[in-house]
Order: sequence, then structure tokens, then C-alpha cells
Amino acid sequence: MNHSSRPTTRPDTIRARIYRFDPETDQQPRYDTFEVPRRPLMRILDVLDYVHETLAVDIGYRWLCTSKKCGSCAVNVNGSPALACWDEALPEMTIEPLSNLTVIRDLVTSRDDYEKTLASISPQLVRKEPYQSFPEPITARDFAATVHLRECIQCLACQSVCPVAAQPESGFAGPAVLVALSELAQDPRDGADRARIAGETANVFKCVSCYECERVCPSEIPIVSEAIEPLKRLAFRHTDAAGARRARAFLGEVKRQGQVNGAFVALRTKGLDLGAVRLGTRLLRRRKIDPFSLLRSLLGRRRAADAMRHTYESVEDKP
Amino acid sequence: MVDVIETDVLVIGGGAAGANAALKAAGKGARVTLVVKGLLGKSGCSIFASHLPYHDISTPQKSRDRLRYSVRYYNHYLTDQDYCVRMGAYMRTEFFPELESLGVYWRRDDEGQVKAVTSRTPALVAHKQGASGIIIMERRRRQVLGAGISVFEECAATSLLQSGQRVVGATVFDYRRGRLFGISAKSTVIATGHSDYLAARATGTREQSADGIAMALRAGADLANLEIQWWHISDVLEPKSWMRYHFYPNPLVGTEETSRIYNSEGEMFFEQKSHNPTSSAPYVEQIRRLALQVAAGKARWDGGYYSGYDHIPSDIINTYQHQAKIWKKLGLDVGKDRLECGITLHMRQGGILVDTERMETSLPGLFAAGGIASHYLGGVGPVSYDGKIAGEAAAEMARAGGRHDLPREAIAAEERRVFGFLRAEGGGVRPVEAKLKIREIMWELGYVKNETKLLAALDGLLAVRAEMVPRFQLQSTSRSWNTGWMDALDVCAMLDACEATLRSALARKESRGPFYREDYPFVDNEEWLCKNIVRCERGEWTSRTERYELTHLTPERNREPFFEADY
Repeated sequence: MNHSSRPTTRPDTIRARIYRFDPETDQQPRYDTFEVPRRPLMRILDVLDYVHETLAVDIGYRWLCTSKKCGSCAVNVNGSPALACWDEALPEMTIEPLSNLTVIRDLVTSRDDYEKTLASISPQLVRKEPYQSFPEPITARDFAATVHLRECIQCLACQSVCPVAAQPESGFAGPAVLVALSELAQDPRDGADRARIAGETANVFKCVSCYECERVCPSEIPIVSEAIEPLKRLAFRHTDAAGARRARAFLGEVKRQGQVNGAFVALRTKGLDLGAVRLGTRLLRRRKIDPFSLLRSLLGRRRAADAMRHTYESVEDKP
Repeated sequence: MVDVIETDVLVIGGGAAGANAALKAAGKGARVTLVVKGLLGKSGCSIFASHLPYHDISTPQKSRDRLRYSVRYYNHYLTDQDYCVRMGAYMRTEFFPELESLGVYWRRDDEGQVKAVTSRTPALVAHKQGASGIIIMERRRRQVLGAGISVFEECAATSLLQSGQRVVGATVFDYRRGRLFGISAKSTVIATGHSDYLAARATGTREQSADGIAMALRAGADLANLEIQWWHISDVLEPKSWMRYHFYPNPLVGTEETSRIYNSEGEMFFEQKSHNPTSSAPYVEQIRRLALQVAAGKARWDGGYYSGYDHIPSDIINTYQHQAKIWKKLGLDVGKDRLECGITLHMRQGGILVDTERMETSLPGLFAAGGIASHYLGGVGPVSYDGKIAGEAAAEMARAGGRHDLPREAIAAEERRVFGFLRAEGGGVRPVEAKLKIREIMWELGYVKNETKLLAALDGLLAVRAEMVPRFQLQSTSRSWNTGWMDALDVCAMLDACEATLRSALARKESRGPFYREDYPFVDNEEWLCKNIVRCERGEWTSRTERYELTHLTPERNREPFFEADY
């Protein structure tokens, strides 16, 4: 019989350096260091509890379930997000609040911006057809694509590391919101215009596919491939969002001439206006674009492009 | 003077009961304010819901089985049986359809059949067994936030405001900002749940300090059966914070097998399938068997015994059990490894006395819904039913009745009490020390109780109240998320609730369900098939009993040895 208790070779003390900041009284954050005796299988939250309870220090931290359900206890540990109740305590830990969120006190951050953004994407199921009766005719297959998305606990770890969401002016909703949106968008019962919401409200095309969100997700959700990319595909097909236009122009360019011409992509994305003319002139002057290649591509029916078009056609035939 | 907000219906508590009460009151046209100590749909115990009973009444036998489950195994006959019938009908005809219409995906198979826990009393799961509560409450959260209800999160109600006996609102402490405000309401629903962090090992979480029980007690409400407290035994021992992870002893999805529990010598001493086959809520039987193991020196209350699913194919556990993830996280194999367990104080059967038609308490203007009430053990489905009844009745009362003046003196007194703790000088006792002491007292009292132990625990609590509370000293007087300040207020609530619980336990002179007194080791249906009611008015404790009406089911024996009963 196997039991969970195993001999441990780890040091018997944990050194936790905890970020302290009280916006009411402090100009600058500081760090307090605590020595915590290690217990078997100890989590980060057990360390915080020890500091609060046994050492009776009034650190500000938030938790509501200790079982990876509420998603309220995420913090940065040694610079990277961790779910305090879920991830193991390390022998040396610097524990800080999640990045890019407003600090309320010490490790407690505000979820208000996330909630506001979530509300903007119509986060409830909007039924195509009125609901009839229980149980409705659906199968496990209808929900197979979103099985991992249902593991999301809104801990905001992904949101805190997203380099695009870190810039509010980007208008990018952020990965946590997109996981919720994608679950609804892939729900066969939902009839809201999720493509428009993804493309225009959530600005899904601002995602740069850096995979930081996936790296830190404690629920191991393939956020880019199973949440964001399906939304991009949806918005690409059904909307005229700038990102969709750019992707279409990009694709069209490759299809037409087997290579990407930046000027055409820009023109098709943003349209022709005074700004575009100015930019074009500037780029021409700096030889960033080649007018002959432009001409060639306008007339262009080269063999390479033909080959590329054949490839496209053979792919596009597939469902 | 504190700010006062006016509303029609005030709902205190953001779990399944409170959320539904707020929604249904708003659905009746009332202006609703919802106050949540944690985060709506993320705090409280509703997110812990594993699987939800489907009240199948398609044959007389199934109907009987289901009622028997509710009345005998879940509530040990301490419930209103007509309520159980009504609640079952609600779950079947309203609860599952309503949540499905919101988008909750009740697990299906590839052919579209609902993939249920297939015991004599079937139950459904959302996503996985053990994850249903998270899925349900996230949908509810979004529904409430989209319904025009005014929601105050991370705000704790600290007292009920009264005009005479009538409840006319509450004071609320916003601990993010450190301010106290009043809410004037035409009717109030309290729904703060039944799972409190009152013992060193408990399922209740940070915010669950029995505030609802304490507020109702201070307001003079009748409280019933507070002593009937469930302990769970198949809960993770280490890491300590994972004590809230529970290996369900109930029937499972996808297999006829049930989890097993082994003593320190590797002997299996409990599995529902063979030891308590007629009950799909085998918790009270489980702990009796553990008590025998502890007495034999083959287990401790805090460890030395093990649980797991190693006799069940791993793919079934991985597919349908939310808890399978913890084996993976610890680098263990769910098909081979067992985890060491300890007991936890899980939930309270009793609570605020209500009439089950409208969920009205003994105080006019105050309704109680869900686990905080005394009529039923709880569960996301039943408490949603309570929320609906209470929310609608509260909206009706708000529409019919006028607004009462708020008691200014009581608000000022509460302001003095709350801000009285905000001091960084004084007697040198950190509030959290008192919190730990209370939890230690209740843990030491534990499962096996007798009069001597109960009186000793009561003395311990009174000592905390007399010697520690007046000497509270915080580390900082900051108003933003001041952990010590929150602890101080929690301690006051915990003391009141625990004292009421002990007095209630002293009054009940029998053993029943999860409640075991070794000095009265008999289930006594002749004397004690009743509500055990306590009340405190101006420091005077009174108690009385009221018999339950057995409208459908009656226990076979009037009196039987506690360890021979199966409920």
C-alpha cells in the first residue's frame, strides 16, 4: 500500500518575504521576511496562514475556498503567478500581489476592472431558441471543445501576465475574459453575435499569441489554442473588425502572390485616407516599400502565386 | 453618523440561497440590495457542491426512496416532511430547468443521456462530481450582476437593526474601505450559510464566522438544533488548507463502486456500498465507524487513516471526479495511492427557526433562507428553493408594508462597538489568537461529547470573552483591509454562535445523526424528535422544545442504541 507521506529532504524552514503595502499609510511598499516551519506538502496559503495566525501578523491576503474553486488567492511567487491554495510552498519565496492589478492591501488586489470587462461581453448565455424543458437535447459531443474552458476559476493569473492587457488603451479584454467568451461562443445553444463581441468589444485580434497566459494558468487551460484562436477564427469569418480585415488582407496577399505586401495589408486593414497616403509616401521615401513590386503584384500572375492558389483551394475545400 | 442606504429588500449572503432570494425578490419588482462578506458566488459553501439530488418520483418506490433520503439520512427526522416533498418538486420542475436555461451543462454522455450518480437516489453533476457548485454559482453570479441588483461585495453585515422586535435593516462593515454604513429595508433575508470555520479543522472558510447566527441571536431570534453538526471524515490531512478537499463517500458517477477508508493497519473500515447501502449520504455512519477505530487505537481524529479510489479504474475517476486533480498535483497515482485523512467540522443542520411556508423567523421582517435556517440540512438545490420562497415573501412584505425609522441609537452603539476595536494600543492580545483559541476549544470538544466536556468548553469560551476580547490590540489602525480588525469582529460572532451551540448541545439529552453524547448514547424518538430551541434576551438564555409532525415517515423504533441506528 502506498501512502502520501514520504520522507522529505527539504529544509525544515521556509523563508517567506512578503510584500507589504497599505495605500492609506504607506508611500512605498516594503518587504517583511518570516521564518515558517515546513509542514508536509505545505502550500503557499499554509505559509500565509501561519504568518497571520501563529505569528499573528496582520498581512492582507484573500482566500475563500482553499480548494482551487474560487480563484481568489492568486499571488506572484518569485515573480510568477501562483495559486496560493494550490501551489507548493518553496523554501525561499518572495510573495507579491499579482501584477497589473490595483493593490488594495498587501497581497489583495482589485478584481473590479476584470468584472467590468466581463460585463461588457454579455457573459450570460443568450439563447438562440427559447428554452424548452429539462433535459434539453444536447450531448457530451456538443461540449467536448470547451471541456477545458470549464475548468477556469477566474483567478486572473493570466490577466496579470498578459502584456497586451497590461495596456488598458489597447482595448484588449484579456485572456480570462476571452475564456468566458469563448465558452459561450462555442456553446451550440448561444445565439448572441459572439463574433462581433470578440472582434470589436473584446478586441481579440490584439492577442499576440505569446502564450504567457497558458504558461501561468493553474488549471492548465490551453487558453490560446482552445479559447482565443476559436474566437479569432469566428471573428475572422463573420466580422469586419480591423483585426479580421488585416487577417483577410494578409491571407489574400499570400494567396494572390505567394508573399505578403505590407502596403496592401495596411490598405485593406485601415482603408485609404490622408494618413495612409502620408505613411505610404514616407515609407516609399525610406525605401520600405518597393513601387515595382507593387506594380508587379497589381499585374502579378506569377507561377509561384498560381501554385500557392492551388494549395489554398485544396485546403479550402476541406471542411 | 454613518451613511444609510434605503432599499426594499435586503439580502445578506451571496451563496446559492442569497443569490436566488435576491433574484426572485427583484423578479417581483422589489428594489434589492445584496450584501456579501466574500465575493458573490465565490465565497460561502455553495461552490463546494459536489452533485445534486434529482428528486425522481416516477414510481412510488422512487418517490419513497427520495423522501427517505431527505428525511431519515440527511436530516435524521429533524425536518419538516411536507417541506421535503415541496422542495423535491421544486428541484425537479424548477431548479434543474432554471439552471439549464442559464447555460449550466448537466453532464451528458455522447448520446445525450444525463450522466448521473446512479444510486437508489440519483444525483446530477455539472461538469464533474465535486465541481458542480463552481459552475452553478458562476452562472448565478453573472445572472445577479446583470439583474440590476445593488451588490456590495467584501462587506459584512454586523448587526440587525430593529424597531421594537421588527427587523428594519442592518449595519454593514465594508472592510476594503473600513467604513460602516446602515441599510434601511422593508424586509430582510438572511442567508449566510451553515458551514462555519469554528473548529481547528473545518470546511468553513475565512469569511464564515457564523455572523448570521450571531446577529440573529443578538436580535432575539429563536434558534433550533444548533448542536446537530456534521463532521466529515474523508478529508485531506496535509496540507492543512486542503482539509476542505473531501473524498465523497457517496455513490459516484460512472461506477457502482464507492470510495473506501482504511485504518492505520490497512484494514478497510468503511465503504458506502457495503456498510450503508440504503443511504446515499453515509456521513453519520462513516464517523461512527471511525469512532470505533479511534477507540481501538487504529486511527486518530487527525490522521492515521486513509482514503482513496485505488480499487476503481483511474480513467473513471479522472473523467468524473473533480478531486482526481489533487493526486496529479501531488505527483501521486489515483489508481494506486491513498491519502491520509482527518475529520473536519463540516456543516450545521440547525440554525434560525423558520416556518417553512414563507421562511419567516420569529422576528417580524426577518426571513432566513438556506443553511442558516433550521429546517433542513442544506444543499445548493434545497437552499435555492428557500431563497425563492424567502425572496418572494420578502418582496411581498416590502410591497405591502411601509418603511420604519432606523434606530439611530442602535446604529451609534454599533459604530462604537466596531470602531472600538480599531486601536493599536491596549492589552496586547491579537484578535487572531482568540480566533485560534475558539477553534481549538471546539476541536477538543469534537465528536464525542458529554456534559463535563460541554461545560468545560463553555467555560473556555466564557474565558475568551472575558479575558481576551477586552484586551484586543491591533497592529495597525488602517481602515483598508485591516485583517486584525476583521478578526476582532469575527471573534465576537464566533463566541456568540459557539456559546449558543454548546447550550443547545447541553439541552439535547440523546444522540442522533451526527450528534453523539456518550452520556446519552441512545436515539430517543420518544422525547427528542423535536426542535431544540434556544434564545437569548438581555443575557438571559431560555430553551424549549417543539415536536416535529411526522406527516409521511416515522422511525421504526422509539429508542435504539446510537451505534445501531443507520441514520
